[in-house]
Amino acid sequence: MFMCKDVVENIMSYIDCELDLQTLKELEKHTGDCPECMAFVSTYKRMLEITGKLKDKPFVTPEIRNRLRILLKSKVKPV
Amino acid sequence: MEIGFIKKLVNVIATNDNEQIASISDDELIRRYTETGDETSFDEIVNRYSDRIYGFALRITRNSSDAEEVFQEVFLTLTKKLGTFRGESKFSSWLYRVTVNASYMYLRSQKKHGNNISLENYSPYDEKGTLMGRIMYKDWSSRPDIIIFNKEALIIIEKAINELPESYRTVFHLRDIDGLSNEEVADILEVSIPAVKSRLHRARLFLRDKLSDYFHEWRR
Repeated sequence: MFMCKDVVENIMSYIDCELDLQTLKELEKHTGDCPECMAFVSTYKRMLEITGKLKDKPFVTPEIRNRLRILLKSKVKPV
Repeated sequence: MEIGFIKKLVNVIATNDNEQIASISDDELIRRYTETGDETSFDEIVNRYSDRIYGFALRITRNSSDAEEVFQEVFLTLTKKLGTFRGESKFSSWLYRVTVNASYMYLRSQKKHGNNISLENYSPYDEKGTLMGRIMYKDWSSRPDIIIFNKEALIIIEKAINELPESYRTVFHLRDIDGLSNEEVADILEVSIPAVKSRLHRARLFLRDKLSDYFHEWRR
């Protein structure tokens, strides 16, 4: 019998559309009948949307770039 | 008038040069730098990979000045060892590997050790395998985007990612933030693909829980 545990352990393959048809059917049937699992899947998807936003974050400031440029100039001899 | 025209011309030439160099492959840039010492090619490599290298170093070290030390070390190493890149894997994978090694070496030299506890048994369900009474009361999925994507939520998730044990944090960063494939992550971190999948799975469960706690507390 498909349980909440199976939804949790298959969530990654479910999101990536990698489940075989039988498992997919069982997962969707269980989730349709189980509000806890429904909430789990919804919040999991929302969490991925939030972490996806971190991709857009610029990391290197012009100051960091400049310090690197100065360091490389001082340490690197021409080839 | 004449000076204005010359300035425009210089800008057009510079733009064309930038566009041209941006379309050159990594392998060609490496060849130009290692064979002729062409600094423009090296600068382009720095431009292409700075954010990714610094971001990954910051994820491992969790400290901006440590990350900058690693970032500088990686590009210094590159000036010396770019010629040893054999093209057996993607250049980006090779560069990430250089970053991992530089980060660990730096942390060791500073005697800084991360937490390496296992999350292998981390799960939201009870011993009977059910989620009964554990998820729904904290369901935040239908909150409006303006609340979900607020600045504080992003700070919370950053903080939660940094609470992950190091081996989960690196996998999560490479897969879900830098968007690499399982195969690439396995290659960079020198672990198996099932290990990558397993660590990513536990990391995501951990982060979903942290966000649920945050949004649940926030409602009060």
